[in-house]
Amino acid sequence: MKNLRLPSWTLGLIGIILLILVPILYFLPRAQTKNNPADYLPEKPVHVDHSDIVQGEFTTGQDVTRACLECHEDAAAKVMSTTHWTWESKEFDVPWRDEPASIGKANQINNFCIGTQGNENKCMSCHAGYGWEEGRETQQANPENVDCLACHADTAVYGKGAFGNPAEGIDLLAAARSVKAPTRENCGKCHFDGGGGNGVKHGDLDESLYFPGESLDVHMGGENDMLCTDCHWTEDHQVLGRLLADNYTIDPQEQVSCEQCHVNQQHEDERINTHLSSVACQTCHIPAIALEDPTKVTWDWSQAGQDGREDDHFTYLKIKGEFTYDKNFAPTYLWFNGSNEYRYLLGDPLGEDGITYINKPAGNIEDPSAKIFPFKLHIAQQPYDTVNNYLLQPVTSGEGGFWDTFDWDIAFELAQEKTGLDYSGEYGFTTTYMYWPTTHMVQSADQALQCESCHGENGRMDWEALGYPGDPIEWGGRK
Amino acid sequence: MKRYSLLTLTGLLLLALALGLGTVLAAPKPVPVPQASTLHPDFILLDADGVNVLESGGAVSTMQTCGQCHDTEFIQSHAFHSDLGLSDYKETSGFNSSNGLFGEWDPLTYRYLSQSGDELLDLSTAEWLMLNGARVVGGGPATTSRNEAELEDAQGGRENPETSILKNGNPAAWDWEKSGTMEMNCFLCHLESPNNEARIDAIQSGEFGKAVTATLFGLNIVSETADGWAYNPAAFNENGELKDNSLGIQDPTNENCAACHGEVHATEEPLTFNVCDLDYPQTATTGQVISAQRINDSGVNLTGKDELDRSWDVHAERQLKCTDCHYALNNPAHASELQSVNPDHLLYDPRLLEIGEYLERPDHNFARGDSAQFNVAPEYKSTMRRCENCHDTNKSHAGWLPYNDRHMQVIACETCHIPQMYAPAFSSVDWTVIHPDGSARSECRGIEGENPTTDLVTGFTPVLMQRADTQSGKTLFAPYNLITSFYWVYEDANGNTRPVRKTDLEAVYLDGDSYAADILSAFDSNSDGILSEAELVLDAEAKQNLIAAKLEALGLENVRIEGQVQPYSINHNVVDSEGATRDCATCHNEESRVTAPMMLSESAPAGVTPQFVTGSNVATTGTFIEKDGALYYSPVNENDRTYIFGHNRIAWIDWFGALLFLGTIAGVAGHGTFRFVAARRSKRPNPVTKTVYMYEAYERFWHWLQTAAIVILLLTGLVIHRPDMFGAFSFRNIVTVHNVLAVLLALNALISIVWHLVSGEIQQYIPHPYGFIDQMIAQAKYYVQGIFKHEPHPFHKSKQRKFNPLQMVTYVGLLGVLLPLQGLTGMMMWLVQKVPAIQTWFGGLTFLAPAHTLMAWLFASFIVGHVYLTTTGATPLEAMKAMVTGYEEMETESSD
Repeated sequence: MKNLRLPSWTLGLIGIILLILVPILYFLPRAQTKNNPADYLPEKPVHVDHSDIVQGEFTTGQDVTRACLECHEDAAAKVMSTTHWTWESKEFDVPWRDEPASIGKANQINNFCIGTQGNENKCMSCHAGYGWEEGRETQQANPENVDCLACHADTAVYGKGAFGNPAEGIDLLAAARSVKAPTRENCGKCHFDGGGGNGVKHGDLDESLYFPGESLDVHMGGENDMLCTDCHWTEDHQVLGRLLADNYTIDPQEQVSCEQCHVNQQHEDERINTHLSSVACQTCHIPAIALEDPTKVTWDWSQAGQDGREDDHFTYLKIKGEFTYDKNFAPTYLWFNGSNEYRYLLGDPLGEDGITYINKPAGNIEDPSAKIFPFKLHIAQQPYDTVNNYLLQPVTSGEGGFWDTFDWDIAFELAQEKTGLDYSGEYGFTTTYMYWPTTHMVQSADQALQCESCHGENGRMDWEALGYPGDPIEWGGRK
Repeated sequence: MKRYSLLTLTGLLLLALALGLGTVLAAPKPVPVPQASTLHPDFILLDADGVNVLESGGAVSTMQTCGQCHDTEFIQSHAFHSDLGLSDYKETSGFNSSNGLFGEWDPLTYRYLSQSGDELLDLSTAEWLMLNGARVVGGGPATTSRNEAELEDAQGGRENPETSILKNGNPAAWDWEKSGTMEMNCFLCHLESPNNEARIDAIQSGEFGKAVTATLFGLNIVSETADGWAYNPAAFNENGELKDNSLGIQDPTNENCAACHGEVHATEEPLTFNVCDLDYPQTATTGQVISAQRINDSGVNLTGKDELDRSWDVHAERQLKCTDCHYALNNPAHASELQSVNPDHLLYDPRLLEIGEYLERPDHNFARGDSAQFNVAPEYKSTMRRCENCHDTNKSHAGWLPYNDRHMQVIACETCHIPQMYAPAFSSVDWTVIHPDGSARSECRGIEGENPTTDLVTGFTPVLMQRADTQSGKTLFAPYNLITSFYWVYEDANGNTRPVRKTDLEAVYLDGDSYAADILSAFDSNSDGILSEAELVLDAEAKQNLIAAKLEALGLENVRIEGQVQPYSINHNVVDSEGATRDCATCHNEESRVTAPMMLSESAPAGVTPQFVTGSNVATTGTFIEKDGALYYSPVNENDRTYIFGHNRIAWIDWFGALLFLGTIAGVAGHGTFRFVAARRSKRPNPVTKTVYMYEAYERFWHWLQTAAIVILLLTGLVIHRPDMFGAFSFRNIVTVHNVLAVLLALNALISIVWHLVSGEIQQYIPHPYGFIDQMIAQAKYYVQGIFKHEPHPFHKSKQRKFNPLQMVTYVGLLGVLLPLQGLTGMMMWLVQKVPAIQTWFGGLTFLAPAHTLMAWLFASFIVGHVYLTTTGATPLEAMKAMVTGYEEMETESSD
């Protein structure tokens, strides 16, 4: 009998507890669950110390790669399918050409050092491969040319020299024993110093990011201390993220985005959220470019080669011409949907209004996928063929190059067979624009732009240039 | 390269560089769009006679110049900025002859505008203008006499306060012909960069007629010459008109308003401000600063500055201008008051002024709020849109603020959205003593020193007082700064009370540029020959008597010290939701934000209790407290018919309840001890028992659900009542649990009533009247005697008759009276938010809440007694077990 009765009153007890708990839990105010962006960071592999694993002797970079491939058998093959190796994009159908075209440092030009073809001895010190003295085709075909150390060795004991080979005097065994997952230093060696020096190309990537303070970049600085690969997710040596300038269109899947980690994250302030359909995160959270180290904003090649003028890294170099640098300045704002509207291809005619765009970001106020986005604009005076009306790429480094002879004609003639473009013998200099999206040196909310930064009398936006009838705070946003 | 001429190359290069650099420089910093309206046509500057100043060389007349297109007479007569209280000036025996600036005595600036017939002249009209001219727009008292005549025609010489001025302590005649008068100065508010300094210089030197023209100095239009004005012909076109809007005519900007009102900062330069400087009256009196700049980007040395990453004022940050809220009342873009007189069915009446009609006759009475202090044009109070006219509080607080409606019934938005002021403001001005330079001893709150960039600025928390909204009729707690002033008054020959003139104070205190010898010896307690701020206070009767005697020696009668507290309302420097007060415990706690006291003065004259200024819309129901020589104002919210849960309680109810509760515990403990001792002494014979099915399943379920609900309600109620003792709990969550359980208890009770009625069990609670009293006595006797002697219960408990007479009475009282009452009071407390009228019934929350508390104590005490009495069954736990299982071992009748 007892056995029968026990369940009957425990049932009542359970009923009472449920009757009380269920409504309480239903009505209790729920703390809004916020996604923690840190949850989305990739897991870091456990570091395996290679100092006891790697055995010498190594006399060439290729020796090291062979040793790596003994265990990491398919690593070279994986690397060779990436743009870090090919320096060339996939082929794009572009409206102004009949043939598909690929874009990359290997085959196109920019408005900094202009082009790599014929300049491999210098430029390839940033290529993740050895052996460029063998020529592009031979170099690219050989898996042993993959430079594992560029991305994996401790940058304190490894460096690259001519034709992508290890620099003179490098202790390759020490370098090989220091390997680990890539650090900011590994990426920074090329990406912070691109264009021939600290902060030249990107306004938002420079050596200040080796040891960034919290106020320099909210992700890499301070407590977060994030690495490049925390956002540039990497699998099988494929690094997420595409450089706008080296592509025509970019599939959003291939690009790094804030939303990778900031999933469904809304601002507490509804008014800010109303901006999200038209304003990129970067626009407010990157108020200024080149916060600590200056970046190059103009480059005038026409002044190169003057005798008797004093060289100064920030204003004039005989081999490169005149520059201006700027620091902590407001970006240029354009509508941007993630792709280029135009990317200059070798042989393309010059622009009609006196400005030739190396790249022109795509998007306008009518484009629902476009948002207002911050860019660093780099303006150059660079050489062109006045007869053929296209931009010229000189051979600069090496024997007979411009830096050797300071004779443009020779430099352009030498380049003819490298680029396949004829040189008429007549050259001039023309203005080129190149736009660099600004995505690093991100600021936390308390340093982000405020209303008055863009709106009102002293706002930084040129609303009419963006296609608005006037300040949207008064005239309304786009429909 | 050689093929190119150097010239072409250089040309190309220059062009390219210019293009390139131009774009680089232009792109990041677009040239700001000029604010000045390009729509304003060129116009002729006219003098007072309507002649082009290029011909006459006279002073500019705004009434004539602007009057060419705009109805300046209409504008002037519809502009409280121009009138400044003149139109309701009335001579009185009291202090204040108007409720505006002109004729309303302000203890901060102190000087008293003498009424005609006053025995002693203090401020004449001319000197009033010179003293206040920095903030006088012109027109009104600057052109018109108190009896609505032209000032220039005023007669009476040194006898008339309108035609005289105090010189070296004696009245002298003032020549209005010579000084000129000051027209309403349109330029001051409508120019991009009016020359306010030159204007103020002209006014302060008594050259009122020059003030308007001086406003144009520095714009390359006009300069002053020895014998008049020199106009720059280059600034005028061939028609004699000023060229290309060269004045920069525009809608008033925040900077224009700032010229008179307070600190406005719109540049990227780190913001700083003058501390307690009456040239910035709004900032000096309230600490309000209008700027979009982040506080931590400012140059102010603020406590905890690093964390203050919000802007000084969220509306400034969001690009609202002063005129967006304080708009011209007939501006067709804003005119909403017209809509309020629509018939009910009409939501919008499109018959608004055409823009041209508006521009001809713009009403310069601007929409205004309900501020306590600025009584100019009180008829326009509450004409402005308030927070809730733009913001939907139900939506903006959705999901986090419980009882939103109730909070909105009693708290102004500013209370939570202006939690702290970050600029200092006056706390007191003591004119009973003066410095050698003739200034008062004053105190500033919110700064430890005087320099905001080097001394520590702490800011201050405004005091909350109940404000009566003129329009809505609501009384809401809103933030204020209190400025207390102390001053001597005397009675003049006409029996009028007047503040002692500054000139008389100087005669009493000073001997030339330093203190008189007798003053020094009376005040200089450390005998160092210098009067420090600490020494310069009338903290002893002897000092007061000395000053009074010296004042009386000057012929003043009935001199005494008075004190006045002025509440200055704080409505700007609003913060958004992230910066607002959001923690329930800020108010719902022992120490409540609502009753946080405010220090009035660190050292006040001894024995003087100030009075609140009369005629404000603020309830001054708190008390003055003196502590260590300092004077405080301490709000008492109960006096404002509010009850704040967790803060307010009635002491006797808690004492009574706690004593009852503890007394019950002590009683049952004593009773139990006696039972225990009695049981030890004579062993109770083992009772013969049989098992009886006593309680139905539903009965048991109902009982235990009720038990759990009541216990949890008591515990959560205690936390709500005394959150200070249970800080670990979230006030908000506990309130939710309390409400949920209350509903559960009510439903349980309702269902059980039905069950009791249907099953007939209700009879258990209905006593048979015959002999009931005797039976109760018998039962009581059993508890005090029989139980100790192991006598049998006088009434046998059975399934049909479970309760003894005492139980019956108790349960009927508990379940039939106390529980419904408790439910009713609780429900009404909850319902106040939806039915505000409840607040007007029998005291509203101030009655309901204490009653609810009292009954809670009764419940708690009952539970103690009830649980104890269940131990009087066959065995101590038998009855409890029965309520669980339904089966009880009952002693059979024959057991004894």
